[in-house]
Amino acid sequence: MTILTLSPTAPAHERGNRTRKPHRPRRTGSHAFLLLCVAYFFLPLWWLVVASTKSNSALFNGAHGSLFFDDEMSFFDNLAQLTTRGDGLYWRWIGNSLFYAVSSGVGATVLAVLAGYGFAVYHFRGRNLMFSVLLGAVMVPSTALVIPTFVLLSNLRLTDTVWAVVLPSLLNPLGVYLMRVYIQDSVPKELLEAARVDGAGELRTFATIALPLLKPAVVTVLLLTMVAAWNNYFLPLAMLSNPDLLPVTVGLGQWQRLSGAGAGGEQVWNLVVTGAFVSVIPLIIAFLGLQRYWRGGLTLGGVK
Amino acid sequence: MERKLLAAVTVAVAAVTALTGCGSSSTAGAAAKATCTNKIVKADAPQVTVWAWYPAFQEVVDLFNTAHSDVQICWTNAGQGNDEYTKFSTTIEAGKGAPDVVMLESEVLSSFAIRKALLDLTQFGANDVKANYTEGAWRDVSSGSAVYAIPVDGGPMGMLYRKDIFDKYGVTVPKTWDEFAQAAKKLSEGGFKGKIADFPTNGRAFTQALFAQKGATPYQFDLQKPTEVTVDLADSGSKEVLKYWTDLAKQKHVATDEAFTADYNTKLVNGSYAVYLAAAWGPGYLKGLTGADPTAIWQAAPVPQWDPAAPVQINWGGSAFAVTAQARDKALSAKVAKEVFGTQEAWKIGIEKGALFPLWKPMLESGYYKNLAYPFFGGQKINQDVFLAAAAGYKGFTFSPFQNFAYDKLTEQVTAASTGKKSSDQALDDLHSTVVKYAKGQGFTVTEK
Amino acid sequence: MTTSIVATSGKAPRKTLRPERPGSLHRRRQRVGWLFVAPFTAVFIAFLIVPLGYAFWLSLHTKSLAFGTSFTWFENYAKVLDDPAFVRGVVRVAAFAVVMVPLQILLALSVALVLDTLTTRLAAFSRLMIFVPYAVPAVIGAMMWGFLYSPNFSPANGLFEFFGAQAPNFLGSDSIFWSLVNVVTWQWVGYYMIIIYSALQGVDPEIYEAARLDGAGGWQTAIRIKTPIISSTLVLITVFSLIGTLQFFNEPQVLQAVAPSVLIPEYTPNMYSFAQAFSYSAFNYASAISFSLGVVVFIGSYLFLFLTRKRSGLS
Repeated sequence: MTILTLSPTAPAHERGNRTRKPHRPRRTGSHAFLLLCVAYFFLPLWWLVVASTKSNSALFNGAHGSLFFDDEMSFFDNLAQLTTRGDGLYWRWIGNSLFYAVSSGVGATVLAVLAGYGFAVYHFRGRNLMFSVLLGAVMVPSTALVIPTFVLLSNLRLTDTVWAVVLPSLLNPLGVYLMRVYIQDSVPKELLEAARVDGAGELRTFATIALPLLKPAVVTVLLLTMVAAWNNYFLPLAMLSNPDLLPVTVGLGQWQRLSGAGAGGEQVWNLVVTGAFVSVIPLIIAFLGLQRYWRGGLTLGGVK
Repeated sequence: MERKLLAAVTVAVAAVTALTGCGSSSTAGAAAKATCTNKIVKADAPQVTVWAWYPAFQEVVDLFNTAHSDVQICWTNAGQGNDEYTKFSTTIEAGKGAPDVVMLESEVLSSFAIRKALLDLTQFGANDVKANYTEGAWRDVSSGSAVYAIPVDGGPMGMLYRKDIFDKYGVTVPKTWDEFAQAAKKLSEGGFKGKIADFPTNGRAFTQALFAQKGATPYQFDLQKPTEVTVDLADSGSKEVLKYWTDLAKQKHVATDEAFTADYNTKLVNGSYAVYLAAAWGPGYLKGLTGADPTAIWQAAPVPQWDPAAPVQINWGGSAFAVTAQARDKALSAKVAKEVFGTQEAWKIGIEKGALFPLWKPMLESGYYKNLAYPFFGGQKINQDVFLAAAAGYKGFTFSPFQNFAYDKLTEQVTAASTGKKSSDQALDDLHSTVVKYAKGQGFTVTEK
Repeated sequence: MTTSIVATSGKAPRKTLRPERPGSLHRRRQRVGWLFVAPFTAVFIAFLIVPLGYAFWLSLHTKSLAFGTSFTWFENYAKVLDDPAFVRGVVRVAAFAVVMVPLQILLALSVALVLDTLTTRLAAFSRLMIFVPYAVPAVIGAMMWGFLYSPNFSPANGLFEFFGAQAPNFLGSDSIFWSLVNVVTWQWVGYYMIIIYSALQGVDPEIYEAARLDGAGGWQTAIRIKTPIISSTLVLITVFSLIGTLQFFNEPQVLQAVAPSVLIPEYTPNMYSFAQAFSYSAFNYASAISFSLGVVVFIGSYLFLFLTRKRSGLS
C-alpha cells in the first residue's frame, strides 16, 4: 500500500480544504445524487418536526397529511404538557441522559487513553493475550450479560442507582483499540525516548509529550463514547426501576407502552413524539457544533 | 507532576477495584435505601416498597399514606407490564432487588409463583378479604387453596359500538354471534368503508377469552402439585370460535389488524371499526382520542352470545397485587396488598382518574358505581347496562405456568390461520402439540385432553 | 444493532519499540505499562470477563420450570444447535448481513466519493444532513420509523395515492425484512460515510493528479485509485457492521410494538435469547443461545477478515 505520512498535529479536515478542481460534467449529476440522499435521510426527521407540532388527535387525523403542518399549532402546548407531566419528569430524563453521557463518556475516555497508551508503548507480559481477549469479548451479545451484571451490581447494592448505568458504560474496548492504533501511528517513539533520556519519568513523558499529540483522538473517542451512552437503552432498562433515574430513551419507551397499553393506560402519543423531537436536538447540536474537532479524529491514523 | 499523575492513577484503580471486586464482602442485609416516587407522609413508620404502573396510583398511595401511621407505601413505577416483568424476573434470578409488593396481571401469576417468587397470602389472612371479591375474581388469583395476589381491577367484556354507524346502515345491535356475523355482512354490503370489528392476530388474553366463551378450559394447574399440568388447546369450542372469526376475515367482513399499536388505537376511534369488543377499561382508553372523530356516537351493549339461553361472561384480564418472596416484612406487605385498594376513596380515584374497573365488591355494588353516567357514551350508565352483569357472571380462569410462551405461540398460530397459511383447526392442533412439547421439555407431567 | 462504536484504523500496529534489554529498567517499564492498563483492566474484568464467566457457568446448567436446576454440561448447547427457532434466526440474520452490510457500505462509499470531489456549499450541507440520523438514538429512530410505517401515520399513503397506487403494507410478513433494512441503513450510512470521507480527505491529492495525467476519468479514479487506498478503512467498518448485524436486536425489538405478530420473539437469535430469558424465564438456555451466537459472530467476522486479509493488513 502507498505510504503516506499523516502528521498527527494536522488533522485531516484542515488539509481537506485543498482545492481540487471537480470534473465539470459530473457536477450536476453528483449534486442531484446528493439531494436525493438528503431527501431520504432528512424525511423522517421532517416528519418528526411536523408531528411534534400536532395535538394528540391531529396526529391521527390532521388536516393536511402527516408531512405538513396542521391548521392548529400545538407545539408549545405539547411542550407545556411535557413539562407538567409527572412534575417535569421529562426534563429530569433529559438531565439524566446528559449526566450519563458526560460521566461515562469522560470516564471511558480517560480509561481508554491510559490503556491505549499502555498497550501501544509498553511490552509488558500478557499484553497480546489481553488485547485478543478484549477484541474477542465483543463478539458475545450483551443480552447475555444482563443477569450477571445485575447480580454483580446488586451484590454491591448498586442497582437502581446511577452507578448501575455509569460503571458498566466505562467499558469501551473499541475506544482502547482506537487509542492504541492512533498512538502507535502518531506518537513517534523517538520523541518518547528523547524525553526519557532527558530524565523525564514515564508518567511525565506521557503527560507532557504524548497527551498533547492525542487531542483529535481524545475528542473523537469522547464523542463516540458519549453517543453510545446517550443511546444506551437496554442496560438502564434492566438496571433501573426508579423513574427519576431513567435516561430519556427508556422514559419515552415507557410512555409509548403506556399509550398502547389498554388497562389504566393513557394515550400520550403527542408527548412521545414531541419528547423524541426535543431529545434529539442536543446531540444534533453537539455534533454540528463540534464537527471541526471530531471529523479530524475519525480517521485516527488514517490510511497508511 | 509525575507524583500527581501517579496518585491520580492509583486513586482511579483503587476506586474501581473497591467498587467492583472487593465490595462484595459487604453483606447485603436490607435492601438499599429505597427511593420513592411519592412523598412519605409519616417518616418514622416502616415502609413497604410497591411496584405498580398505573399513573393514577400516585393519588391512591398518598391517600393510603395519610391514613396509615403504622405503614407507608414507597411507590415506584417500574414500567408497564412487560417492562416491569423483565425487571422483576431479573431480581428473582439475582435473589435480591425485588420490591415487597408487585403489581402483576393475573395471567402471569402462576408463571411467577412456580418460580417461588410470590408468597401464598393465605398465611397472612388473605381469606379474611375473600368476601370482598367475586368468585371469578378470586379464582383468578388462586391456585388450589393458595392465594397469590389480591385482586385490583378486572376486564369484564362488553361490546362498544358506534350507534351512528349502526343506524346509518340499518343494523340492529347483535345479541348473538350469528346476528353479529349478519351485521358484519350487512355493513360490508351496505357500503360501510370500515369493518364491523377487528380480530387481532395478537389478541392473547382477548382471543383466549373468546375461546373460553364457547367452553374452552385450556389449562388445569394447581401450584400444590407443581409438576402436573393439563393442556387442552385444540378443543372443539376453540376450534369453532377460531373458524368463525377466520371465516369472517376471509370474507373481508372483519379486520385482522394487530392490536395495541398506535395504528390500531386510531382505528378504534376514527370509524374504521363499528364495534370495539372491549374490556371494562376500554372506554377510559378510548377517551384519550375523543377528538379523532367528532361525529361518533358510542354506546355499550353486552358481548354477543353463542347461546342466548345460557349466556357466558368473559374477562380480558386485570391486575392484582402480589407479595414477593423477597419482601422484608411479609405480614406488613400483605397488609398493604389487601388494603391499598380497599376503600371507597381509593376506588373513586381509580375509577375517575384511571378508568379502572373495580373488583372490590363494596365499590362494585355501590350505588355510585352503578349509577355512574359516562359523557363519552352520551350519559349511558354503562356499568349498570353491561359491565356489572359481565363481572358478576364471570367464573374465573386458570392460566398455565408458562403463559407467555403459550400466548406467543397462540399469536403465531392465529396469524397463520387468519392469513390463510393453514386451516383454523390445523392451527389449534399445532398450537396444542407445540405447547405440550414445551411443557414436557420443562419437566411437567402433561395430561392431554 | 448493538455495536455503536466504530472507528477506522490503518494497518497492523507498528512495532514502536525494540525489545528492551532485560534488567531493572525493563521490569520497571513493565510495571508502568501495567499501571496504565490497570484501571481499564479492572472495569474490563468486572463488567465483561466476570459476567461472561458467570453467564457461561449458567449456560452449563439446565433449569426447568417444574424441577429446579441441575448441572448438565453442554446439554443446552446441543439443544440450541437442534433448536429450529435458533437456526432460523441465524439464517435470518445471515440474510440481513448479506443484504444490509454491502448496501450500507456501498451507499456510504458512493456518497463519500461524490462528496470528496465537491467543495460546494451544497455538498457541505448534504454531508451534514446525511450524517444527522446517527445523532438520533437507535431506539428513537426505530420508534419514528414505526410511526412512518403505520398506515394511519405514514406519508407513504398520500404519496402512493398521488400516483394512483396503494401504499404497501410496510409491516407485513413479506416486507418487514426490507423495512428493517431501511431503518438500519438510514441510521448508520451517514456515520460510515463520514468515516470513509475523512479517510479520503486524508489522502494526498497528488496521487489523483498523477492518475489524471495518466488519463483516468472521475469514475476510474474513484474505483481504481481511491477505493483501494482506503480499503483497510472499508474492511474495518464492514467488520463492525457485520458484528452489529449478526447481533441484530434493537430495531426489531422496538418495531415489535408496531408489528407484534410479524416480528415474533425468535426473529433474531439475540431477540430469541432475550425472550427465553425474560419472557420464558429460561436464563440458562438463554445464556447458551447467547454464547452460541457469539461463536457464530466470531466465525463470521474472522472468516471475513481472513478473506480480506490482504486488504485489511490485520493478519
